[in-house]
Amino acid sequence: MTATEGFSRHGDHSYVATFADSEKEVLLNLCEQIIELLAERQDHGHEDPLAAMVGITSHDSPPEDEVLHRLLPNAYADEVDASEFRRYTESTLRQKKQAHAISMRIHLKSSDDGTIDLDHDNANAWLGGINDIRLALGVRLKVENNSHEDLELLSPDDPLRGVYAVYTWLGWLQETLLSALIDDADEDEESQLGSS
Amino acid sequence: MVKTADKIEEEIRAIFSSDTPWVTVVWDDPVNLQTYVVYVFMELFGYSKARATELMLQVHNEGKAIVSTGSREEMEHDVARLHEYGLWATIQRGDQL
Repeated sequence: MTATEGFSRHGDHSYVATFADSEKEVLLNLCEQIIELLAERQDHGHEDPLAAMVGITSHDSPPEDEVLHRLLPNAYADEVDASEFRRYTESTLRQKKQAHAISMRIHLKSSDDGTIDLDHDNANAWLGGINDIRLALGVRLKVENNSHEDLELLSPDDPLRGVYAVYTWLGWLQETLLSALIDDADEDEESQLGSS
Repeated sequence: MVKTADKIEEEIRAIFSSDTPWVTVVWDDPVNLQTYVVYVFMELFGYSKARATELMLQVHNEGKAIVSTGSREEMEHDVARLHEYGLWATIQRGDQL
């Protein structure tokens, strides 16, 4: 099977890509990892069930794991404000991020020939999901400190070389989906202007 | 965590001075693609492509940009949505920038 050409727009608000088996496996594997990582942060049974029901969690400090910290960042510079906001919102944020990865997993698993056909909402879930994977890989690659040139020069036996290859491939894949979506947005804008 | 009396007083003042706006700040991040940031601004805030691009470039060149202004509640809503899409965003009092 040939490598994917990325996403393109088919008709009205439909975004299609066909993945080779190996690409599908890589994507599925990464989705599973994100889902598992977020599940590790899940609230445990010891907390108040009423609080859990309304989305209040026992977490009021940021995750120690660097990747989780990037996925679930503080909303305030002030520590007291940040923990209070986290207590009321973190569990919802985790659920939304898991939902993006689960949506990707469902599309990938239910496609026999590797073709994925997304509507606008699903495309947004994929964009968010791909982005979370890139954020996670970015932390592992320490992109804060390593330039792209440094990462290009990784030796072939460095395990991070493979990670970097996936990271850049996901960036390219995300870009193809974005250009299909932004073309649409441009047209919507023009047609609104035209009708006013 | 227990709030200090000062902190509480400051919050009460903020609640009653409705003219003090809060802002949502987006910070530069080496991972998020420029096109992605533009798209998220268009999608979440309904900004035109030109406005969204201008804000993205401000984040990229200056390290941060204010992407929305309003009540504290509104800003918390905006930050939650930006976090859902992986942008690095925080809430600040408009007069404490």
